Amino acid sequence: MSDSQPIRSSRFRAEREADWRALEALVERVESGGAGRLDFEESRALAALYRKATTSLSVARDISLDKSLLIYLESLVARAFLAVYAPQESLSGVMGRFFGGSASAAVRRSGWAILMAFAALFLGGWVAALLFAQDPAWFYTFVPTGLAGERGPGASTETLRAGLFDTEGNLLAQLGAFAAFLFSHNTRVALFSFALGVFACVPSLLLTLYNGLILGAFWALYADRGLGMELFGWLSIHGVTELSALALAAAGGFRLGLAVLFPGGLSRKDSLRASSKDAVKLALVAALMLFVAGLLEGFARQLITDTTLRIVMGWGIGLLWLGWFMLAGRRAR
Amino acid sequence: MARLQTPAEMARKLENARRWFELVPPEGVPIRFEVAGIAARFGAQLLDILITVVVMVSVILLLAVLPFTIEPLVTSLAAILMLVIRAPYYILTELFWNGQTVGKRATGLRVLGADGRGLTTHAVVARNLMKEVEIFMPGTMLIVSGSLGTVWNLILLVWIAIVLIIPLTNSKRQRLGDLIANTYVTCRPKAVLLPDLSTSTPRIEFDFTPAQLEHYGSFELQTLESLLRSRSETRRSDLRRRDSLVQVAAQIRYKIGFEEPVPDGRAHEFLHAFYTAQRAFLEQKRMFGDVRDDKHHRDGD
Repeated sequence: MSDSQPIRSSRFRAEREADWRALEALVERVESGGAGRLDFEESRALAALYRKATTSLSVARDISLDKSLLIYLESLVARAFLAVYAPQESLSGVMGRFFGGSASAAVRRSGWAILMAFAALFLGGWVAALLFAQDPAWFYTFVPTGLAGERGPGASTETLRAGLFDTEGNLLAQLGAFAAFLFSHNTRVALFSFALGVFACVPSLLLTLYNGLILGAFWALYADRGLGMELFGWLSIHGVTELSALALAAAGGFRLGLAVLFPGGLSRKDSLRASSKDAVKLALVAALMLFVAGLLEGFARQLITDTTLRIVMGWGIGLLWLGWFMLAGRRAR
Repeated sequence: MARLQTPAEMARKLENARRWFELVPPEGVPIRFEVAGIAARFGAQLLDILITVVVMVSVILLLAVLPFTIEPLVTSLAAILMLVIRAPYYILTELFWNGQTVGKRATGLRVLGADGRGLTTHAVVARNLMKEVEIFMPGTMLIVSGSLGTVWNLILLVWIAIVLIIPLTNSKRQRLGDLIANTYVTCRPKAVLLPDLSTSTPRIEFDFTPAQLEHYGSFELQTLESLLRSRSETRRSDLRRRDSLVQVAAQIRYKIGFEEPVPDGRAHEFLHAFYTAQRAFLEQKRMFGDVRDDKHHRDGD
């Protein structure tokens, strides 16, 4: 027995070892420098050798008792798998797809959730305005003191007007306003209403309603003093973008929550995963819109003080967003 | 009746203590990956945070050198820069380096798509957006926790507890972001092909009968394999190794009833020959469906 030719698993190894070594060399080059390092022939060889190695592994698992060989093959195939199935993305490709259609398609697919978010926002605003008409003291209930500042039912009409048309401050102060804004109330509300949507939509709905309440209270106060139109202009220039961003973030949360509530034919986990594809895109769009809103609030609102111009600019930008959502990527489908 | 644990069962238990998972790629052969340890992942995360903080601080220092007075805004500026730097950092590195950030490269970790079809852009974005909610939001709140109220501190505590517990409750150590993005984090596999023991010695002068090869199973064979492969660095460990080779050879000869005397100097040669013969014998039996796990004829459950 001992004098005869090598045992079966040794022959198996001897026949294939050259292929494994070749694969290992290719994988090492991919690991150190990415798949771009390989030319066409080498890439083809990588795929072919990888498939051969998977077959070797599956055979070796059955016939070989050589532990070191099994360990080697397991890890070689694992490394080759990582090299072969690496994401083949370029930055321009990812960006192009996001802006050129996938984001807008996600927004279009989430129409009902977005409608739901806007409805919650308006409902909140309407309720707050009604309550304010009964008793202005409701203002203090809805608006946190930090946000209200010196604006409130106790303030004079002149103070309120000055707040809307404040042009003081240099570039740096505007940058400061921008910085403060990004981490202020709205970003936090957007992030929470998105992330907490998983819990069956309830937290997102409450947050959006609450934001509507604050808005409604402000509007009722200013309308009470005859400054309704001016407030509309002041809000429009950044608010169209900003409130839409809030609604989109909340809609992302709603998509997650609805997937948990009504999974349909899927399991809840799968349904959550499926809807997360759109929800993540909604969150990215909302983040982008919040960033733009921050720029508008920090700079444009201070530079443009004419109410009509503010309204035109705010809603014009809103139309641009709408155009992107409705049109981008339609032809491709 | 209480059953004693055989060494093979203990070895199997030890093997299971290292966590593995299998991916089935389109080729249909399951590939085994090791689940990354908590400590390594923590280290990678720490290194990544360090890198982003260093970049953020250097940007702020650059701004300070330029003629701006930024003192009143430093905290909010730092917060914005952190967000603008870290979110793209994680997403782009994991996307373009095939699931590795700088920290993961250093600790030898890698992100994998659980469906066996590679990482998708969506998976990378989703798991890193969740990182914002899971790690960075509670982290920043923790820094300012002194100025928050008791209620917020309690919420923060529960939040951090949930984030820490979730990876421990599932076998693949997935955090919330991994669960949503359907990804696993694995150790980078290393591969070294050692020479085949059964062919590495040219002449074998011991003969075994089939009856003598009936005694052992694959566990004993592979234990012998690791003994034969072991290398000794110092003179003392080399002596010890020789000593154990002689002892093992004597034990095997006694067990299988090998009559021919084996001098101590040839113990290694004898074990080599026995390994080759035993492996051929067991592999032959395996081919016919007789899988023998260890000498007690107990197979894995």
